[in-house]
Amino acid sequence: MNMPTQNSGQADTADQAADAGAKDAVVAARGLSKTFADGTVVALEGASFDIAPGSFVSLVGPSGCGKSTLLRLIAGLIDKSSGHLKVHGKPVDAPRTDVGMMFQRATLLEWRTAIENVLLPTEIKRSLTKEDRRNAAELLRMVGLHDFRFSFPTQLSGGMQQRVALARLLQTGADVLLLDEPFGALDEFTRERLNVELMRIVAEVGATTLFVTHNIAEAIFLADQVFVMTPRPGRIASIVEVPFERPRSPSLQTSPEFNEVVAEVRDILGEDH
Amino acid sequence: MPAADADRGDRRSGLGLQQRRALNHAAIFLTIVGLWELGSRMGWLDPLFYPRPSNILRSFWLIYIENGNIWPEIYSTASLVLSGFVAGSVLGVSLGALVGLNGMVRRFVKPYVIVLEATPRIAVAPLLIAALGFGASSKIAIIMLVCFFPPFINTLSGVVNVDEQRLELFRSLGASKLQLMRKLVLPDALPVIMAGERLAMTSALSGALVAEFIQRDQGLGALIMTYTRNLNMASSFACIFTLTILGFLIFRFMEWLDRRIAFWNSEEGLQRVGARRRKRMEGLA
Ligand SMILES: Nc1ncnc2c1ncn2[C@@H]1O[C@H](COP(=O)(O)OP(=O)(O)OP(=O)(O)O)[C@@H](O)[C@H]1O
Ligand SMILES: [Mg+2]
Repeated sequence: MNMPTQNSGQADTADQAADAGAKDAVVAARGLSKTFADGTVVALEGASFDIAPGSFVSLVGPSGCGKSTLLRLIAGLIDKSSGHLKVHGKPVDAPRTDVGMMFQRATLLEWRTAIENVLLPTEIKRSLTKEDRRNAAELLRMVGLHDFRFSFPTQLSGGMQQRVALARLLQTGADVLLLDEPFGALDEFTRERLNVELMRIVAEVGATTLFVTHNIAEAIFLADQVFVMTPRPGRIASIVEVPFERPRSPSLQTSPEFNEVVAEVRDILGEDH
Repeated sequence: MPAADADRGDRRSGLGLQQRRALNHAAIFLTIVGLWELGSRMGWLDPLFYPRPSNILRSFWLIYIENGNIWPEIYSTASLVLSGFVAGSVLGVSLGALVGLNGMVRRFVKPYVIVLEATPRIAVAPLLIAALGFGASSKIAIIMLVCFFPPFINTLSGVVNVDEQRLELFRSLGASKLQLMRKLVLPDALPVIMAGERLAMTSALSGALVAEFIQRDQGLGALIMTYTRNLNMASSFACIFTLTILGFLIFRFMEWLDRRIAFWNSEEGLQRVGARRRKRMEGLA
């Protein structure tokens, strides 16, 4: 299901001169900045980082610190103002199919059944085959919704709708997954269960994941690295390495080591958190 | 009525709530008709303007069966309504989508839309007849005019008000403009468009009548004018009740069409279409 990984350092001249980041980085940014049109809001300033293949990165920070902006830059949905940004060694200048995005709201099409929603990304690329339908059904099984594949979104709970959106994200075949507070609108119980499932699934498909959240514990629990961001201007204040072994169980969150990392992140964020 | 009372009543009469309601309605209806009949016979109501129900009934018999002269007029009015409605609303939906999708056109068109929306469309009817002459084309033009705006305005607003996040989703999936239109914008706007179509259909019948009142050559409007001028009020009433039934049928038809097209807005529609899609895809997935 994964796209073949492209070699870095091909077919780009301007960006090659600049530091392109670590050789094997899936996402590499140097001095990446975004100022919105009116010129007053610096949504993101001087972000530099490398994201290794298959790693899970959480983005935490208060509202308005540029988390969504960073994701939308990587997805190619908006243009950067300055700096360098490469995905799979290629500069990002338009939406691309090896990067997939998931939002806080499920954004399902309510006139399509669950499986038809999952098939949408493929339908946009080419005409559907039997194999695609089988694949989509398999993905729905993976997120625990095989029995609901012919239900419409309005017949599903909020948590189930987000599972369908996750299956749709996987159906794109993208190996860079951008999740913008995907379970932020759900109750805590459902959110925790979906987080654990998400960890399992992205490990299974071997995707590189960027996950936005407001919740510090959640960010640490899921990630290999936590990008701690601060607002005005939006910056990555620090990148915190998370040392815990995988697979992780929810009980990890009560351990003293875990709480040390929580304290470290909280410290960087300062008073507001 | 308290539930306990209703229960006791049911047991006594052996009738369901539905049947008892129907009986109540029938009783009220018959009382009104009876009083009307009595009033006419006793001279409380001017029989010239308020013909007796029994006379109206006889007129029904005359124009539907004995002479059968209403059928071609019903056909004429109905086909006029249908062709004007289809032409006007197809034009409204396509122009609405076109204008909605193009930001620049939208800005230019907007003031005209506001002015035209505030003008009662039917006022333009005499001008249309003057321009197009008597005959079918000016009648259809009048109906097109009244049928154009509701679908036009609704399509426009439906197309413009697409959810930002869904647009972003389609962009991130690399959808073309045509795919965006076919798979997101139009289906998303369908319920609003259908609401416009229902409004248009309601005005279509009134538009047809006005056109026929003016031209007086054929159709139910012309027939009503003729009967009224001949002081044959019983037959006029029979025509008016015919229009009531026609209007009701049109309303029910549009309701049915709405449920078919924007099926996802009703539980019944979801069940029906869901079962069909399950059947179609079960073997495949
Ligand atoms: N399209 C836009 N035009 C102008 N300013 C914008 C736009 N999008 C975002 N901003 C501004 O950029 C800043 C960062 O926004 P962003 O949405 O990235 O924050 P965020 O970290 O995702 O916040 P939240 O946690 O509330 O989602 C904010 O000050 C916001 O007002
Ligand atoms: Mg955000």
